Amino acid sequence: MATLAETEAPQAKAAELSYLVGAWRAFGLQWALYRHIWNGTVFTSVFLPILYMISIGIGVGSYIDPGATGGLTYAEFIAPGLICSVAVMMLGNDMVYPVFGGYHEWGGGYLHQRSTPLRPVDILNGHLAYAVIFRPFTSCTVVAIVLAFFGVYTSWWAALAVIAAFGVSAALAPWLHAWCSSLKNDAMLNSVYRFAIMPISLFSGVFFPAEQMPGFLQPLVWISPLWHGTELARAATAGAATALPPVAHLAYLVALAIGGWFLARRVIARRLSF
Amino acid sequence: MSAAASILHSMPIRDEILIRARDLRKSYGEYEAVKGVDFEIKRGEAFGFLGANGAGKSTTMRMIGCVSQPSGGTMEVFGLDPHTDGPAIRSRLGVVPQDNTLDGMLTVVENMTVYAGYFGIKRKQAKAKAAELLEFVQLTARSEDQVSDLSGGMQRRLAIARSLINEPDLVILDEPTTGLDPQARHLVWERLFQLKEQGTSILLTTHYMDEAEQLCDRLVVMDEGLIIASGSPRELIDTHVTKEVVEVRFSGIHTTDLHDIAEKLEGIGAQIEPLPDRILVYTDDADATAIAIEARGIHPTSQLARRATLEDVFLRLTGRALVEDE
Repeated sequence: MATLAETEAPQAKAAELSYLVGAWRAFGLQWALYRHIWNGTVFTSVFLPILYMISIGIGVGSYIDPGATGGLTYAEFIAPGLICSVAVMMLGNDMVYPVFGGYHEWGGGYLHQRSTPLRPVDILNGHLAYAVIFRPFTSCTVVAIVLAFFGVYTSWWAALAVIAAFGVSAALAPWLHAWCSSLKNDAMLNSVYRFAIMPISLFSGVFFPAEQMPGFLQPLVWISPLWHGTELARAATAGAATALPPVAHLAYLVALAIGGWFLARRVIARRLSF
Repeated sequence: MSAAASILHSMPIRDEILIRARDLRKSYGEYEAVKGVDFEIKRGEAFGFLGANGAGKSTTMRMIGCVSQPSGGTMEVFGLDPHTDGPAIRSRLGVVPQDNTLDGMLTVVENMTVYAGYFGIKRKQAKAKAAELLEFVQLTARSEDQVSDLSGGMQRRLAIARSLINEPDLVILDEPTTGLDPQARHLVWERLFQLKEQGTSILLTTHYMDEAEQLCDRLVVMDEGLIIASGSPRELIDTHVTKEVVEVRFSGIHTTDLHDIAEKLEGIGAQIEPLPDRILVYTDDADATAIAIEARGIHPTSQLARRATLEDVFLRLTGRALVEDE
């Protein structure tokens, strides 16, 4: 009489992963890939902010009256926004093509991860851990240090600007993940840049006070995580007053991060169930 | 101990059932891809799903691999329920998907060690295991190369090596040699045969009959979501076709004329099948059949007597009409 295979194999127990362990294992792929591309990110995290600061902060800034920027020099005004903008720029690299490609033969990362003990939520968390924790840590921190050499910070609290950049990343990344996961055609990926990355970068009060925007565009500013992050970062680097109480900015970023994560979890579970 | 030998856990226990499916079904909206199939796969055997494109074999494999939830019926894999124990089941499977899903940016060895990480295998152990398996699939010399620089056959071998990193109880291969040149195919077969000989359970889908015949102890033929035949390759041949086939060709004579000639051959052999370019005569005695054909005053340009193959079984069961992809 044939008997059914028993289940006491050690692997079966090992397969009961906590979210943390699952994310850590899935993160291994992103880390391995990063080791092949890290040198390419040096431009984004070191040279690009220097170029921005010289050309816009100092060059354009020489024409701007500090009265228009709340008493701050223009370089002081844009520095915190640049730190947070780099987080958005990084998401443009990490949360668009790599996510879409994960489901396709040419990327394939998610497909091969799916045939292992990892669950879709682990795969999501692994990618988010890379984009929301690792990348801001390795890029925004460097940007913040580089900008310090331009004398744009008024206190050591400026270090908190990096935390604000983490917040921007956490708030936006899961939404981008869900969006790119739901696309069926790579031609649609440009819409993510056109309708998310680009407007968020331009209309979030990074390069000019958000209240200068026409009234009908103000709602776009309010919903942008980059605006909330920049407000917090500017308070940290220059002691500037925030548009809303800091806790409100923070709460918005947290709410966006949590809502986005639940949505992204749902989308990836659907995409990786065949 | 050789690399391949280390994959072996113990001698196969032939009575132990790894997978049991009853009335297994899968639907996508109105479309029913798998329409209720029953099968059992035992430890140590090489089991094949044979079928044309769209027959439902890959869908069945995805359900076994716990990446697709069945729409109906029951299935147990290693005694576990795929619905609730997917990660536990997948931790004991080795999967070689049809399109490899290797990471082209990573090196050969990185593809192995990163994959090992998903199973919680420690880095040092993963590196040692990767080295063993790369030796097994003859890729040691390319271990530091980027995967995108490898040929299709090498990538396939790497995908097979990767699937063995967790010492799986069962290796699932979806069309393992599709798209490979003959040399690469034979090398893959050789490695799979070695695995099988060492007791690793293998489950594969294929539409290459020679592959199924070479590798499978037992197989099922799927057509339009149903299992239409099952058994060992020899049993299937014995049950569904005769021992031998005589292929009769007539230079310059095609379709309609061949049908006329086929009518004149009625009564010779067990079955006559006219094709566009030749007539197949199924028989248990090819020599006697050749003499009988000549005796009827029919003189073919050429006659080829050969052993009946799984391909004959397959075409007889599923028909010769072209089936479009799903």
